[in-house]
Amino acid sequence: MARAAAAAATFERRVLRAAAEHQYLRVRLELPDGEARPNVAQLKQLVVSALRELHGEVGAALSVDILTYDEKTLSAILRVISSGLVKLWSALTLLGSYQNRRCAFRVLQTSPFLLALAGNSRELVLD
Amino acid sequence: MVRFKNRYVLCEVVSEDPRCRQCIEDRAVSLAVRDAIGRVHGDYGLACCSISFTVKYLNAYTGTVLLRCRKDSYRLLCSALPFVRQLEGRGQRYPCCLRTLHVGGTIRTCQKFLIQYNRRQLLVLLQNCTSEEERQCIQKSLLSCSLTEERSRSGDEEDDDGTE
Repeated sequence: MARAAAAAATFERRVLRAAAEHQYLRVRLELPDGEARPNVAQLKQLVVSALRELHGEVGAALSVDILTYDEKTLSAILRVISSGLVKLWSALTLLGSYQNRRCAFRVLQTSPFLLALAGNSRELVLD
Repeated sequence: MVRFKNRYVLCEVVSEDPRCRQCIEDRAVSLAVRDAIGRVHGDYGLACCSISFTVKYLNAYTGTVLLRCRKDSYRLLCSALPFVRQLEGRGQRYPCCLRTLHVGGTIRTCQKFLIQYNRRQLLVLLQNCTSEEERQCIQKSLLSCSLTEERSRSGDEEDDDGTE
């Protein structure tokens, strides 16, 4: 939307909706203490099986990538096509069990830009 | 005016096995379609499409099936129909596939389409006839269905008896 203001400088405002190709999510998997932790491949299998359960074969075919995974803290950064964000997030929310144990996915941050996941104002410690 | 809008999907059951026709029942078809939607679109798709899902009309002789679903989820239903692979009835399984003929907003439009489609199918059957008596039978049906166009619309559907 271009808006011309006073004569000297033209002010132009561009609004791009849904222009980003991918959405990035920082998630953390919560498991009961002392249980075996999944490795990267098992985490991918877990995410795809959650999608398959809620959204069927079409959901399982959604291209989800795991960009990083930290096995100690069980936190990962996922990337998904922007149109598939709702399907992925709903599937992660409704996933209840991993290997017959209760688990939960907590979505900490989401953004269309990967750099935005670097800083998190929720974890900011103010003295 | 706010109301629930439905979509009616007209399909044809195509099967190589002639015994499949006797197991075309509304419960068998409904189960097969729901199972296919559950596989392709998951729990969410199954729940979406099952809101107003019924088999409205079935013709076992011609294999015509009319399904109803909500307008919001008819695309989920139509995209799952090619994944129906078999029909189960009375403990028997027959491989088949569902061909989508028409999607309409009301039963009346689907009926109009079905009447025209059946008329065209009669002509095709006439061309593919093998024996003379079949030919005469079909010619008689053709003549009778073209005469009663003005008066009755619903009587035309029973003209073809599924001669195979």
